[in-house]
Amino acid sequence: MKSLERKKAVWGFIFVLPAIVFFIIFNFYPMGYAFWISFHKKNLISLRPPKFVGFSNYIYLLQSSSFWNSVKATAIFALGTFVPIVIFSLIFAVLISTRKRFQKFLEMAYYSPAVLSSVVAATIWFLMFQPYGLANQFLNFLFNTNNIDYKWLSSEKMLVLATIIVYFWKYVGYYTIIFIAGIASIPKSVHEAAIIDGAGKWQDFLYITLPLLKPTTLLVSIMSMIQTLRTFSTQYFFVQSGAPIKPIEVITLNIYNTAIRDMRVGRASAMSIILLVIIMFFTYIQFKISRTEEISY
Amino acid sequence: MKKLILLFVILAFITTFAASTIELIFWTHEDPNRTPLEEKYIQEFEQMYPNVKITRVTYPSGKIAEVILTAFAAKKGPDIFNMEIQNEYPYILNGRVAPINLEAIGLKSYDELKELYIEGALEPVTYEGEIYGLPLELTNWAVFVNKKYFREVGLDPEKDYPKTWEEMMEVSEKLVIREGEILKRRGFDFRYPYYFTFFLPMVEQLGGALISEDGKTAIVNDEAWLKVLRFMKEWGPNGKNLGSPTYTNARKTFNKDNNTVTMCLSGLYQIDRIRAQNPEFYESGEWMVVPYPVFENAVKDVRCNYYGHYYMVNAESSKEKQYWAWKFINYMLSHPEDYLLNVGLIQPRKTLIESDTFKNYPYADVFIEDMKKSHSVPLLANGPQFEQLIREAVEAVMLTDTTPEEALKILKEKANELLKEEW
Amino acid sequence: MLKRTLTITADLIVWIFLIGFAIIILSPLVFMFAASIMPSEDILKVPFPWITSDFHWQNYWKALKGNDGKFLYLRTIFNSFIVASLTSLGTIFLSSLAGYGLAKFKFKGRMFVLMMILSTMMIPFEAIMIPLYLIVTKMGMQDTYAGLIVPLLLNAFGIFMMRQYLITFPEELLDAARIDGASEFGIYWKIILPNSLPAITTLAILTFRAQWDNLIWPLLIVQTPKKKTIPLFIIQFASEKYTDEGALMAAAAIASVPMLILFIKLSRYFLAGAELFAARKD
Repeated sequence: MKSLERKKAVWGFIFVLPAIVFFIIFNFYPMGYAFWISFHKKNLISLRPPKFVGFSNYIYLLQSSSFWNSVKATAIFALGTFVPIVIFSLIFAVLISTRKRFQKFLEMAYYSPAVLSSVVAATIWFLMFQPYGLANQFLNFLFNTNNIDYKWLSSEKMLVLATIIVYFWKYVGYYTIIFIAGIASIPKSVHEAAIIDGAGKWQDFLYITLPLLKPTTLLVSIMSMIQTLRTFSTQYFFVQSGAPIKPIEVITLNIYNTAIRDMRVGRASAMSIILLVIIMFFTYIQFKISRTEEISY
Repeated sequence: MKKLILLFVILAFITTFAASTIELIFWTHEDPNRTPLEEKYIQEFEQMYPNVKITRVTYPSGKIAEVILTAFAAKKGPDIFNMEIQNEYPYILNGRVAPINLEAIGLKSYDELKELYIEGALEPVTYEGEIYGLPLELTNWAVFVNKKYFREVGLDPEKDYPKTWEEMMEVSEKLVIREGEILKRRGFDFRYPYYFTFFLPMVEQLGGALISEDGKTAIVNDEAWLKVLRFMKEWGPNGKNLGSPTYTNARKTFNKDNNTVTMCLSGLYQIDRIRAQNPEFYESGEWMVVPYPVFENAVKDVRCNYYGHYYMVNAESSKEKQYWAWKFINYMLSHPEDYLLNVGLIQPRKTLIESDTFKNYPYADVFIEDMKKSHSVPLLANGPQFEQLIREAVEAVMLTDTTPEEALKILKEKANELLKEEW
Repeated sequence: MLKRTLTITADLIVWIFLIGFAIIILSPLVFMFAASIMPSEDILKVPFPWITSDFHWQNYWKALKGNDGKFLYLRTIFNSFIVASLTSLGTIFLSSLAGYGLAKFKFKGRMFVLMMILSTMMIPFEAIMIPLYLIVTKMGMQDTYAGLIVPLLLNAFGIFMMRQYLITFPEELLDAARIDGASEFGIYWKIILPNSLPAITTLAILTFRAQWDNLIWPLLIVQTPKKKTIPLFIIQFASEKYTDEGALMAAAAIASVPMLILFIKLSRYFLAGAELFAARKD
């Protein structure tokens, strides 16, 4: 019997081994390498070995207006995207959950942009944000104005809004589905009890559904926030197509440009480490919350 | 055992056989007129030297720098490539490209080589006594005009074409068609984001410069820079609303002759692109080329900067490959007239510039006269970053509320910081 | 009576709201398909003519053929399929293997391994992409299918999902098989794999979609046009000189159709994928 247990333990380890090796090579090693090279000066095409420079990459970044501009652009994008996403996906989910017919159809319609690739999404929207495009036509129709150019791609604020809209459009349905699942997981008996106690639909929503959705809401908030910190495709495509870079040079784009355009690997890695720390911080909070907020019915 | 030996022999045979075929990878930017020509040269070359196989791959001009960089960083760069010289320069500095193999091109010395080209044509690729590239083209830009739209608004294209930037703005104002604020037809628009090429000369016309002569300060003569930045602001959507970097490239829609743009900046090669893409428009004669404008109160008559595309060879390719690569490059480039007639590219070879073919080529005089008054784009170790900084400044004034003064302050700060950096 | 009218009105408002937003959300998709069969002059028209009078089916031909006439897009689509499928297959295999090992076997350091794997969820890909690119390059996988696939073969979420799915798997079944003399790998192959199909399908779809969508990694790792994936092709196509808007939208439509079909056919797995995220607790 003992030997069987041991044999099982060995097999268990064998099954897990490929994963361990994989994560060491493709996750931990690059992370360590990023950390190491962030203290070095290294030109991407130079054949010279990296030169140790201490903290100077970090010091440079903390004093660089371009880095702070990226932090600002990322923060604005993240806040401007995940807040509306959480609010709207919650509203959509609650309303869709009340529908007795066509629920599946609505779910699919709202979710469909999420199956497109980000580059396709950026391509479509880039065309719609052109001065002659649908976005201008829509606003002109909405505000009953005549051919005003709302400068979607050419004014700082509108450009940021444009990238937010692309992201919102692509992912709001995704989070709606998560909320719908959250709502569906609330046992019917809880609602029934409330109705018996004389609660109306509105009260049921306010005092039963909403509080019980708190963990899902927190989860969606942090998850969507972390995802928005990683945004890249839309910004990359827009800048490639001629949009001004400054308002939308998010950290990921700055890392890419610093390494691939400016050839500064050390500096790009230092920026990567900073992004890593920021995202780890939020992930840690997410873990904390998902632990403490479990609800038993 | 016998079988094993046999296998070994076969393997050895295969490897030696494979080694005797030379495979060259050749990356270049997309140019629909150049492709058939160079494919033809490849065929001819492969026929002459059956042991050589050449694969030619094209990338859009806006993307090739990125692709070549990621390949070179991985030590998997192509054997032969070309980019704009300011992007190639760092490769020379970092020892990633091989000097010309004189034997392969059948010459004895660099001096003999220099003799073939016009004065200074090889200077950008000369570094520490070696020459690292052969020029495919030397290009400056002039203004392409669609005459129809001039007449449509009651202007005479031959007389009223803009000679100064001030006129450019006035004329464009007359030529634009707007629907509300939305531009349906532009008069003229710049060639964003190639600021080293079209923007720096504007600054220099007014007495400014990117780098001082002693090389110690960046952004010389604030007044000149400010004036040009103000001009750009005036041009953009927050000013007179005549154009903007976010519209489709003017040179791209110019060929279509579809009432979206009247004038654009481009090189001689644009003529062949018009012919290829829109023969009807080409034949109609409703277009012409006029010189690069100069500010009214310019202190210096400089025209659009010229840039070069140089064919280069990867230093990591084997010596044998390098030899064949140079031999092939030399073979392609030994047809300067074909390049001119089919693609509109000017190789700075003395024989070409002095030839009748060149002198009779439509509008070649416009370009060559402009070129005499212009100089090369600046070559700097951090060139691409400097261009990026200018881009940010121009975009800031054109598209945001940033004032030219603020934009210049930031540009000056960053550019000087960049200049001091050693890499 | 008044109350009933109120409820009906409220109900109607909700319908209008939901359908209104559904239209807004779907309109860019409709725009893409509408524009993909228009001559580019029509796309520039104000107001936008949703249905063109001049069908330009040749836009699709132009997109497939490419500006250089080499039909690179076909090759690119093939690449995307290969890369996304192989990655999905690999992910399924390795994740279920590791998930099974973590769920059903006790060995020293199991918790440590689990924590180690889970901790990689905190490492965003964007933060390690540059060093990863340099490492993969050193391994000689740059500009190869392997370079596109291997570094993305596994992720912590997949393993965790499989572990959660398998942790409730009846132990008796496994023991019975052992008594019958089945090998440990045989048990995994013949019992575990076939019995975790729903989880596996969901994981496969998630992985397939992520790879189909991936831009940043191929951008770094692939240079040769023949090895490019769809997002790279579209970016390249969009920046070429002779591309017109109609052909670009046709290219976008071609890229989207397979995913849309897959979505309509297998929507419950797509939706389940999202729900699984919600259920993710440790």
